[in-house]
Amino acid sequence: MSDTSIFLMIFGVSVVSLLPRMLPVAVLSRWEFPQLLQKWLSFVAPAVLGGLAVLSILAPQGYIHISPGNLYIWACIPTFLVAIKTRSLFYTLLVGIITMALLYNFAGI
Amino acid sequence: MIKNKELLIGIKDALPIVLGYLPLGFAFGVLANQVGMTVVQAGLMSLMCFTGAGQYIAIGVMQAGGAIFTIIMANLLVNLRYLLFATSMVPHLKNVPTGWATLLSYGLTDETYAVAMTRYQNHKATTAYMAGLNITSHIGWISSSLGGALLGTFISNTDKIGLNFALPAMYICLLVFVVGKRSDALVAGISATFCLLFGYIFPSTMANMSNIIIATIIAATLGVLIDERY
Repeated sequence: MSDTSIFLMIFGVSVVSLLPRMLPVAVLSRWEFPQLLQKWLSFVAPAVLGGLAVLSILAPQGYIHISPGNLYIWACIPTFLVAIKTRSLFYTLLVGIITMALLYNFAGI
Repeated sequence: MIKNKELLIGIKDALPIVLGYLPLGFAFGVLANQVGMTVVQAGLMSLMCFTGAGQYIAIGVMQAGGAIFTIIMANLLVNLRYLLFATSMVPHLKNVPTGWATLLSYGLTDETYAVAMTRYQNHKATTAYMAGLNITSHIGWISSSLGGALLGTFISNTDKIGLNFALPAMYICLLVFVVGKRSDALVAGISATFCLLFGYIFPSTMANMSNIIIATIIAATLGVLIDERY
């Protein structure tokens, strides 16, 4: 791609990636959400995180990979336990990263 | 000053996100370099777009010799989920002036969304907190992309030090945080199941992440129905 095409591409991607984030905040902030919709929206965060968490572990390379050879599955067990026990993002990340490093270097799967 | 304190908390809350972005941004920089983007262009893209999945798609399409139009349409699809995220955040942003809230939503990502929504369960949203969280995360994304584009040829494997597990670990932890009542856990489980199911039946939804949108809509709707019953 030429430099001009690359800049055009970056500009186009910028528009379509920023509009969905900023537009609802700009347009809806004065609107009083009906109760039922508020309840529905309150479930969006757990739903999104459920999806992201499961995909990041069972499909770490972008395709579903459920087998004992998937190190992410093993690493998620201590990570999950630490998250419940400590409720600390810092310790969860620490344990997750160290577990993964150990598995990657020594598990030899 | 309360403002400064909120800003600092925002910055502190962003640090785990930055850690997670490090390998992802770095990898983007390396790949961007390989498809012929300059260091400036890679940095500019991370500054102007701030969309991990979207930027990887752009690289993939460029590598395959695809058109700009394809890249933009794919990015439109990938980023549609933010309509839902942003809308669900709006009720929490009552104390933030609309202009600031809109501007700072530039930095809304899967990760900043999850961290912010966790905090808003017990704290009011403030402009300073949003700024600290979103801008720090964005700086982390830009600098790791620049780092990758600059040093890509020297460092190849961040998997060795486990950094590839930073984001999954964060999702797991934030999931534990946002699940407050039994219906939340059910909704998360339903969504995870549908995500996998759609990803399995229609693998293309995995690449553009539309499976997350569909699963979220189904799970949240079931959540409302379940919650009415109990």
